[in-house]
Amino acid sequence: MFPEARLDVALRVRDGIVADVAVRSTRLVQASRLFAGRRPDEVLTLLPTIFALCGTAQVLAGLSATEQASGLPPSAAQLPARQMLLLAETVAEHGLTLARDWPAHVGAEPDLAAARRIKTAMASIRPALFPAGDWNHPGGGTVAPQHPAIAVAIAAARAALTSLLDADIAAIVAGPDQFRAWVNTSRCAAARLIAEASDDALAGFGRGPFLPMPEQGPADLSARLEGERDGDYLARPDSAGRVFETGPLARQAWHPVVAALIGAHGPGLLARLAARLVEVASSLQEMDELVQSLDADHAPLACLVDGSGLGLVEAARGLLAHRVELEGGRVKRYQILAPTEWNFHPDGPLARGLRGMPATADLQRRAALLVGALDPCVACSVTVE
Amino acid sequence: MCMAVPSRVVAIDGTVATVEAFGQQRQTSLMLLAEDVAIGDYLILGAGGNFAAEKVPQEAALEALAYLSQVLADGQA
Repeated sequence: MFPEARLDVALRVRDGIVADVAVRSTRLVQASRLFAGRRPDEVLTLLPTIFALCGTAQVLAGLSATEQASGLPPSAAQLPARQMLLLAETVAEHGLTLARDWPAHVGAEPDLAAARRIKTAMASIRPALFPAGDWNHPGGGTVAPQHPAIAVAIAAARAALTSLLDADIAAIVAGPDQFRAWVNTSRCAAARLIAEASDDALAGFGRGPFLPMPEQGPADLSARLEGERDGDYLARPDSAGRVFETGPLARQAWHPVVAALIGAHGPGLLARLAARLVEVASSLQEMDELVQSLDADHAPLACLVDGSGLGLVEAARGLLAHRVELEGGRVKRYQILAPTEWNFHPDGPLARGLRGMPATADLQRRAALLVGALDPCVACSVTVE
Repeated sequence: MCMAVPSRVVAIDGTVATVEAFGQQRQTSLMLLAEDVAIGDYLILGAGGNFAAEKVPQEAALEALAYLSQVLADGQA
């Protein structure tokens, strides 16, 4: 059998507090090593199937790395089209969390119909942008945007979210007062979860030293990847000893709703849950704006030359980095650093946030909520020892 | 890495499919899929495996399975 990648988090309690946090990962951080020897287009075809959960982000990071390695910048028309695909995946992934996972935390039934509507709507955008299916070609594909179909898809996702959340998501996160009003009045599962997390004891649960990921990644990212030999950096990345938090909280900490919650309770559970809602709203808004800038474009003739490149993409769960070395038209070396390796690092935001927390009777549940808020891309168990 | 293993549908009972990959069978919900699923199709399961996330064309599934076999043989798994 193929071993299932998973995370196991063990909390050791001493003197009434979480004294130690052990995070064990069986994730295959070096699996991309075997891309060596293949043609870049083969790798770009394999990526979305092998890493299906964030397959679009994986391909976009791979494209960016390959194009940088070859000195082949994509044309101006490719960029908004690619950004649209990325945002669609972010909305679909976060939508799945809101519809499927959040209700379970408050004992409600998952709204699988809403999850499916969001996912289907977002999946319809790719063929409406790249009807020839060549979106994963280095240099860019044939962009032939069907503006009405894309607008309909965005509206469908928004409508599914409105039914899920009892209100328009943009209105919910319009400001701290509007957010509070929604939490206090809505009976939907998401609002109930956030109401529960607004309790003083829970709101700041998991707050630790907050080290948000720099916008273009750590300054030493490329050099560390280049110098990496044994897989240690890919499994447990850092930057001069600092382990950054990546994902919705790091990206949305500036937003008035999230900033107010961080100010009141610290960068804990409540701020992280709110950041995800904010990110869904801001992604949909950016998609609305992007529709206007989508223009048709031909697929350029791409010629790959030798070199190395780093591709960075802000995927749903955080910063995704691909680094490639090309030689003689083939991949010589391929590395992937995924956001879960930062957030679930043994000294990362989850572990930092849990250390020192009071060992209440519901510690296991609280920790599971925090894990869910940090959203690993594999199954994760929590045990209290 | 969050690797997805394409799994072949060997049985369907309502909205639950029995899928097989690398000699192991498991059950997964088809509730999140918009498209129809038939025996012999290949599915990608979401994290934890409780829900099928995507149907993939046979050719892409077989290529991915061949790659994953190499990963397994290489000892990266």
